[in-house]
Amino acid sequence: MKSSLMLHTITRIVAFIILSFSVFLFFAGHNNPGGGFIGGLMTAAGLLLLYVSFDLKTIKRVIPFNYTTMIATGMLLAIGTGVVSMFLGDAYLTQYFDYFQLPILGETELTTALPFDLGIYLVVVGVALLSILTIAEDDA
Amino acid sequence: MAFQILLNIGLAIIWMLLRQDFSPVEFLIGYVVGLVLLYVLRRFLQFDFYFRRVIAIVKLIFLFLWELILANIDVIKIVLSPKLDIKPGIIAVPTKLKTDWEVTLLASLISLTPGTLSMNFSDDGKTIFVHSIDVPDKEAMIKQIHNSFEKAIMEVTQ
Repeated sequence: MKSSLMLHTITRIVAFIILSFSVFLFFAGHNNPGGGFIGGLMTAAGLLLLYVSFDLKTIKRVIPFNYTTMIATGMLLAIGTGVVSMFLGDAYLTQYFDYFQLPILGETELTTALPFDLGIYLVVVGVALLSILTIAEDDA
Repeated sequence: MAFQILLNIGLAIIWMLLRQDFSPVEFLIGYVVGLVLLYVLRRFLQFDFYFRRVIAIVKLIFLFLWELILANIDVIKIVLSPKLDIKPGIIAVPTKLKTDWEVTLLASLISLTPGTLSMNFSDDGKTIFVHSIDVPDKEAMIKQIHNSFEKAIMEVTQ
């Protein structure tokens, strides 16, 4: 399709900017607006832009994620973070955090809320894209 | 390839602007984030992922350092042996490399390895004439070493 040439060219750059912004939002969630949900939606939006500007078959080859497994992985990660605190003798989903001196990065605060957020992120990306793609592929 | 590096640096700068922190550490984090995104969407761009070439260059450097150590040991053995029973000779090494840049790189790597010296090229640039300090027992082995150099260079530039 010659008519969508400009769309293709700009998508190639803009998709990367949207996706890096979504990663920023994901990590900003602890102290600023952001977090797993909005980061996941933004990633889904970035990937959706690819699906919209190119045809479905091309992008299926480019992004070989199975969104069903992605939802399951995210749920397992979120539940697993909660269960770990049960094994350590605290209530379900107790949050632990500490400051670590990492090489290069310097002093960093690492919390168990981050893997939980990652689980949410994966579920949101999976659910959003799976529902949209299921509707898109429905020929009947 | 240049476009991908440019895009990656651009993403790192956008990352620094978002974090409002212009330290090298933030640039590095942004660069790594961009690298991961480029890797995930590598088939989306029409050419292949550029970091594979960076890895190939690092591999080539280590291969060269290793060959350098081995060849130095060989030359020390020749110099320190009481009897001078070496047979110097000139071998023609055919190369499959295409561009001038690749052939030049291969010739310099051969020259920098002690014991061998690239003297001249054939007119079509497809053969390098290599002077070697000790040929008869080594010709096959030297060819094999050159093939390993050649292969590593081809991995970088293909």
